[in-house]
Amino acid sequence: METTREIKDVLVVGGGIAGQETSLNLANQDFKIVLVEKDLSLGGKMIHLSKVFPTLDCAACITTPKVSETARHPNIDLYTYSEVQSIRRLPDKTFEVKVIKHPRYVDEEACTGCQECEEKCPVVVQDQYQYNLVGRKAIFVPFSIANPRVAAVDIENCIYCGFCEKACPAGAIDLMQQPREFIFNVKSVVMATGYRLFEPEKIPRYGFGFFKNVITSMQMERQLVPTRPFNTVLRPLDGKMPDNIAYVLCTGSRDETVGNPICSQVCCMYSIKQAQLLLGALPMADVTIYYLHIRAFGKGFNEFYRQAVDMGVSFIKGKVGRIREKENGNLVLRYEDIATGTIKEAEHDLVVLSVGILPNSNVTELFNNGEKLETDTYHFVKQVDELINPAKTSLEGVFVAGSASGPMDIPDSILSAGAASAETASYLKQLS
Amino acid sequence: MNQRIGVYICHCGSNISDVVDVIKVRESVKDLPGVAIAKNVMFACADSSQKEIVEDIRNYNLDGLVIASCSPKLHLFTFRAVAERAGLNYNHYVQVNIREQSSWAHGDKPREATEKAIQLIKSGIAKAKLAESLTPMEVSAKDSVLVVGAGVAGMRAAIELADMGMHVYLIEKETRTGGHVALWKSVFPTDESGTEIAGRLYKEVKKRNKIQLFTGAGIIHRTGSIGNFEITINIRKLLKDNGQDKQGMGAGSSGHEENEERLILSCGAILLCTGFEDYRPAKGVFGFGESENIITLPEFKKLVEQGEDKLVHAGREVKNIAYIYCVGSRQEDGENKFCSRYCCSSAAHTALEARKKFPRINNFHINRGIRTYGKHEILYQQSSAAGDTFLQFNEDHPVEVTTGSDGKVLITLNDILTAGRELELEADLVVLVTGITPSGNSSLTEILKVPAGRDGFYNEVHPKLRPVETVMDGIYIAGCCQGPKTITESIRSSLSASSKIYSLLGKQKLSLEPTQAKINTQLCEWCDNCRQACPFDAVRKEDLDGKSVAFINASVCKGCGMCLPVCEPNAINLVGYSDVEVESMIEALAE
Repeated sequence: METTREIKDVLVVGGGIAGQETSLNLANQDFKIVLVEKDLSLGGKMIHLSKVFPTLDCAACITTPKVSETARHPNIDLYTYSEVQSIRRLPDKTFEVKVIKHPRYVDEEACTGCQECEEKCPVVVQDQYQYNLVGRKAIFVPFSIANPRVAAVDIENCIYCGFCEKACPAGAIDLMQQPREFIFNVKSVVMATGYRLFEPEKIPRYGFGFFKNVITSMQMERQLVPTRPFNTVLRPLDGKMPDNIAYVLCTGSRDETVGNPICSQVCCMYSIKQAQLLLGALPMADVTIYYLHIRAFGKGFNEFYRQAVDMGVSFIKGKVGRIREKENGNLVLRYEDIATGTIKEAEHDLVVLSVGILPNSNVTELFNNGEKLETDTYHFVKQVDELINPAKTSLEGVFVAGSASGPMDIPDSILSAGAASAETASYLKQLS
Repeated sequence: MNQRIGVYICHCGSNISDVVDVIKVRESVKDLPGVAIAKNVMFACADSSQKEIVEDIRNYNLDGLVIASCSPKLHLFTFRAVAERAGLNYNHYVQVNIREQSSWAHGDKPREATEKAIQLIKSGIAKAKLAESLTPMEVSAKDSVLVVGAGVAGMRAAIELADMGMHVYLIEKETRTGGHVALWKSVFPTDESGTEIAGRLYKEVKKRNKIQLFTGAGIIHRTGSIGNFEITINIRKLLKDNGQDKQGMGAGSSGHEENEERLILSCGAILLCTGFEDYRPAKGVFGFGESENIITLPEFKKLVEQGEDKLVHAGREVKNIAYIYCVGSRQEDGENKFCSRYCCSSAAHTALEARKKFPRINNFHINRGIRTYGKHEILYQQSSAAGDTFLQFNEDHPVEVTTGSDGKVLITLNDILTAGRELELEADLVVLVTGITPSGNSSLTEILKVPAGRDGFYNEVHPKLRPVETVMDGIYIAGCCQGPKTITESIRSSLSASSKIYSLLGKQKLSLEPTQAKINTQLCEWCDNCRQACPFDAVRKEDLDGKSVAFINASVCKGCGMCLPVCEPNAINLVGYSDVEVESMIEALAE
């Protein structure tokens, strides 16, 4: 393994919207940044979204230029498909950071993203970037607006047939590539490690994984993006265009039985947004949202919610208890109808589970030398002086940005990243 | 004249291509005179497309670039940077908006939308042909900031800006600092004392020589623009100043007005942290003003703080408290359509505090759907677990409040949590959970020309891309003047604004657009029309060889073009939008 050592001002962990915003703010103030992203591309969750509430801007239009600016900035060194292995505080207060860059088995510099390798690859597996709606090859460009837009080999599914090596006009494929280790000395760290989505298999009574027409909100999101795989909305079982869609809010949020008592803050709004987009994409379809409380609290949110009501989206107050599947693939929702105080059933031909936001659990263990990054009751990174220094964590010189500290929508993540960059900048100034 | 123009037609995923026939558009423009290359691109703004365009400019030696995509508000600067990276002056780039102006505006008429897109692009090509290289103006900028409002957001920003090395003028219209927060004893989610938080910030402010704090101060005049504002403030001096520094509350608030002082402050940027006002219900709204037992949430907070072992209001012990939510927020008919964001959590928190202190009370929350979002959910859970009763009404069946002769208040509602049953509730005290309203800063708005949205709060340029900036260059917004927020959220936005301001002014120089009015002094016959039309006071009369002519102050002119149409001898031209350029665009459109 080859090792290099460089000196930087700030390590930013995570290249989603919060990590990019933090990096750009600090880089524009002439600090030197190393940005580490574990995925193949920058962009985090946001780059996979369709349009974003409440303005209905297209997410790609907002995020891709930011991604491009981040990748190009002379003060930002970007490591994609890389993971921070350890962060160790040295006696001089700086941190020693070990980063492992995983092999893509493709030379990033040489690959032009022409995708000729994809055509020749005989292996088809589920495409995680399309949330398993469609397939991809074992060698693949992650998605059309990925950055870097270069191929990678999914080595676990690769059969070493060598077709891609022969097809590549740039000779970029290198199946012998090894992981590389990099060591940095940095003065401060910003944790922008984001969130993970609730896995609805944990609520078996909703049938996700068994009933094909029960999908997650991310799977619906991918069907609504401009580069949508089917160019329309289809239900998975038989490819029928749905005309009676149900949303089950609070799937995995506000639910002690799955260990997550808090509200995820974004599901009401993204479901309302998807409902509005669906009424555009499928003008004949009915959309019903089953909710506990509608949390339309941000700027322009309540107005956006009222707009959905006026457009004809049905809102039913009540918790869905169980979903069962009919022979034709339709689904019957059994729910408590608060309006009448009775238990009711309703049939829909597609059910979307509005899954919540959970903390990325492994981020706190990166620190060694006896230090531990404290977390709050819900396992998000703890803000130790939340009201006055919202980015401050339990470790000196370590700050938090975006949804690593709790559920947050995009505008809040961006403001949180702004706060993290300000607090980091003044920390760095006081060091020097 | 530029004769090697590259034209790119963006699909914007499908935002454009779903309506506009982008292939036909390319076919229609690719062979036009002056067009060297025309291409379709999926996302012009994506990094891979940007790289492709840079390579094309170099390989085909392009001298003009037209990208037909979204509004220039979104990506003008993105694509100008693309041109510059390829060595092409940024003014040789022309953005044509075929999304907002074609595909989105005419979604139901694809044929016409396609035709319109073609015409718009032709007009863009006409402009690109005549484009000349421009150099941005470098101006020096002051590394000082005027922060308006010394609530928690304003004070926090002032501290941060000072620590970054900037000089800060912090002005506050009241005679004390700390805003609303200084008046609160216990705040969610940390149960810290608001007074102490405001006090901590005030101490930090006073510690820093780089912050000059003026209380009792307001803006009365502004000149200049980004990088170099000159702001006149008016300071009310107090005759009798008790001078005590109570918990960081600034100078004492008792005293008589003595005299006024005026100061001119020079600053590179202005940050508005002017906060909010509590909603004040009109008399009769939920019985407000008709009984002393109907009070607002801020009044109730004070009552809880002041109570000792018993909760007493108007001389009587209070047992049953009814909280009516969304007073002044989410109005169906009224002006405030917005949700005030903090009040559900604040009411639940206050009710919990009250119960902790006075275990014998009963809390009844009459709400419209509790919005304790995120981790605030725990407050709702805790108050439910503690035995609080939650009742819910909706906009179709408003709550009715009547006052009995014994001082008790009778509330009737259709509770949707019990299948719409009509319930009656007798309360000793009704707490109207009042929301946030925008501060009525009409004179400030007038002087600084910062626009407010339909909800009355100051408008950001873009909630995701530029959330703390306004359309007025150099003027930023943070905290509740932009929209309802919790303390943490206000502080986050004020820190964000500090970060942006430091990026802007840290180097003490700015580069500004040279798009400005230019006077042809030979044609000018000084008639004063242009001076009257100018919204920025950029025009003045000067003597030139015995002749009176108009003179444009380059550091003030914003290039808005208001002076052009009123100039009878046509002696004014706008750099980058000359008559020749605009006429050629109109001709191309009318073809």
